[in-house]
Amino acid sequence: MTEDKAAPANGSILVVGGGISGLTTALEAAEVGYEVFLVEKNPYLGGRVAQLNQYFPKLCPPSCGLEINFRRIKDNPKITVFTQTEVEKVDGTPGSYDVTIKLNPRYINENCTCCGDCTEACETEIPSDFNFGMNKIKGAYLPFEMAFPARYVISPQIIGTDDAKRCKEACKYDAIDFDMEAKTMNRKVGAIVWATGWEPYDATKIDNLGFGQYPNVITNMMMERLASANGPTKGKITRPSDNKEPESIAFVQCAGSRDENYLPYCSYICCMASLKQTTYIREQYPDAKVYIFYIDVRTPGQRYEKFYQKIKEDENVFLIKGKVAEVSEDPETGNITVVAENAVTGEKIKETVEMAVLATGMQPTSATAKLPADLKYNEDGFIINDFEKGGMFAAGCANKPSDVVSSNQNATGMALKAIQTLVRK
Amino acid sequence: MTDKYLIEPDVNFVREIVGLGGDTLKKCFQCATCSVVCPISPDTKPFPRKEMIAASWGLKDRLVGNLDIWLCHHCGDCTTNCPRGAKPGEVLGAVRSYAIATYAVPKTLGKWVNSPKFLPILLLIPTAIFIVLGLITGLLDFTPGGEEIAQTKFFSTWLVDMIFIPLAVWVVAIFAMGLKNFINDIHENALLEGKTDKKELDFVGLIKALIRVIPTILKHDKFSECTENKDRATAHLLVFYSFIGLFIVTNIFFIHLYILQWHGPYSQLHPAKWLANISGVALIIGGALMIWNRLSKTDQTTAYKDWYLLGLVLGLGLTGMLTEITRMAGLAGITYWTYFIHLVFVFNLFAFLPFSKLAHLVYRTVAMAYNEYSGRQ
Repeated sequence: MTEDKAAPANGSILVVGGGISGLTTALEAAEVGYEVFLVEKNPYLGGRVAQLNQYFPKLCPPSCGLEINFRRIKDNPKITVFTQTEVEKVDGTPGSYDVTIKLNPRYINENCTCCGDCTEACETEIPSDFNFGMNKIKGAYLPFEMAFPARYVISPQIIGTDDAKRCKEACKYDAIDFDMEAKTMNRKVGAIVWATGWEPYDATKIDNLGFGQYPNVITNMMMERLASANGPTKGKITRPSDNKEPESIAFVQCAGSRDENYLPYCSYICCMASLKQTTYIREQYPDAKVYIFYIDVRTPGQRYEKFYQKIKEDENVFLIKGKVAEVSEDPETGNITVVAENAVTGEKIKETVEMAVLATGMQPTSATAKLPADLKYNEDGFIINDFEKGGMFAAGCANKPSDVVSSNQNATGMALKAIQTLVRK
Repeated sequence: MTDKYLIEPDVNFVREIVGLGGDTLKKCFQCATCSVVCPISPDTKPFPRKEMIAASWGLKDRLVGNLDIWLCHHCGDCTTNCPRGAKPGEVLGAVRSYAIATYAVPKTLGKWVNSPKFLPILLLIPTAIFIVLGLITGLLDFTPGGEEIAQTKFFSTWLVDMIFIPLAVWVVAIFAMGLKNFINDIHENALLEGKTDKKELDFVGLIKALIRVIPTILKHDKFSECTENKDRATAHLLVFYSFIGLFIVTNIFFIHLYILQWHGPYSQLHPAKWLANISGVALIIGGALMIWNRLSKTDQTTAYKDWYLLGLVLGLGLTGMLTEITRMAGLAGITYWTYFIHLVFVFNLFAFLPFSKLAHLVYRTVAMAYNEYSGRQ
């Protein structure tokens, strides 16, 4: 019923993190008329979701939803996107924050047409972070096919080398600019939503599961990349040691999660992720056997439960109640033996498979890199939302381990919380 | 799982296990990490995951007569790797003390040994027996004279044997009664849980298996497989061999006295005396190491039953050596009283052997023999 339809003067919102939660928060707030600054540390938006092959339980590609979101951002003048940017400092109180952000140089300007000539020209190869080091990319690259912003990236590793010169010479559009420097900016915002997301838990820390020691022990996020058409194997699931098509695969659930020694909490998504990845394998290899070792299969809700029931019907899928606590490799064949006690039959199982997938959990990004703001964290590093104090909120996996659906619902809620901060000021 | 099993939870049992040092047992969520990381757990029906659920559900019958609680050497690998801090190693330790108390009669004594409240009584019993019997027989002389100091002038060797020989008989008798039930129970449990296919228990086979496991015990092979508490194997080996050494010494001197009619104190040059001194020192070092290990492992629960035994072991060694040293130093008063205290310790160790944690020397040996006999993988 209010006449004043414009947002308040200091009515902008800062969203930190351009993953699915950050995108949702930014869009929900911007599409009702609020000015949003969306800050992302990577050179592209989409976060972890961009690395996924399919969503569960519908098994549809995330690229579809991302494309729609990118389109919405492009069309919305209320959103300003800063990639390769980090928040350095936050001062102020709810309704009036003074934020310092640091923009790192991309060395490529808006002239870029994504022609790829710089990649051709570049000789240096670097391991692809996007593909968890499973392949190498050139020092000048496009993060992935539908990266947004659609612009190439120059790796800091080639700066000052002959490769840099070669790239610059190759570019027909004068898009490469090595004079770009890091710069800091100040922005006044009324509310901040931290959508800083998560990191896959470092599986090398779980010393009895063999990750980092045996090439055919991979993580669930690596499996997503292997199964993705734009991944290191063009979507064909093969094992890293010899590119063999695996005839048997073991999933090790709770690799680090629900374990006081690593991540004491349940990461929520790993059971569904492994069941989903089982479908990837079963689709590609109709004779492959899949062994899933679990403590409890946690597939909350009717839709997830239904998905689990369907996988269970597959006679090539074996679900074993018992946590894998020992992993070894046969150096001759590269095969992996996982050891668990089947808690139902009370027998020790030594299952030799061609490849093992560790269902590693989520660790909030804020657990390892503390954010430059006055936020409260729980003992695991997730941000606690202080609604009494208001002003700053955590959305998605910065707040708790969650799937994409809950992240989006939560992000929408946090957009509303941010708006309320501005309006109530 | 076609078998039907009627669960009869015993809530008091759970409470007692908690009280005996198994206070973490309810944290277990049955992931079975413990059964895999345990270096000595068998492949057929491994432990301790199944013991953890039995303890948590109060299934006393599945635990007390279960040989697996004795196959456990308390390495601590399970406790370290447990994702929930449920400390399976400590829970099995608690179940073992419960089992010891179950098989030893009279049960009251078992209760006394496991509770600090009754420690004064346990110390008073030998003191009273020594004094009363000593005064009645006149074999305890509070004013021993003479130039040479000899313990027998104060506390006559006859008095020692008058007390300790019947005591040894009583210990053997209690163990014999306990073992009879114990062996039947572990066999029944092994059949129930599918650990063995030997339907009938064959004692000759069991004894043959016992002979086969003796080298394992002497070498502490199983103990050495532990990774987490590797250092405990050394301490245990020291105490273990010092007890064997002292047992041999006692027998040698027994023969000296009763067959050869030689009375002590014996010369320090006597080979048995060397063995005695080496064993004494090993006992003190081993006992001190055990206490040190316990104190430095803060993630490990140490219950009263552990301290009672450790205190006895170290006390026994210290008072024994002190008696000898003060005797040679000519400190008559001190040496006689130290000797008296030493005998109180010896009495505690022996008389309550079937009731204390030390009873593991019998139960674990038998369990290991049975496991060898069972043909379990």
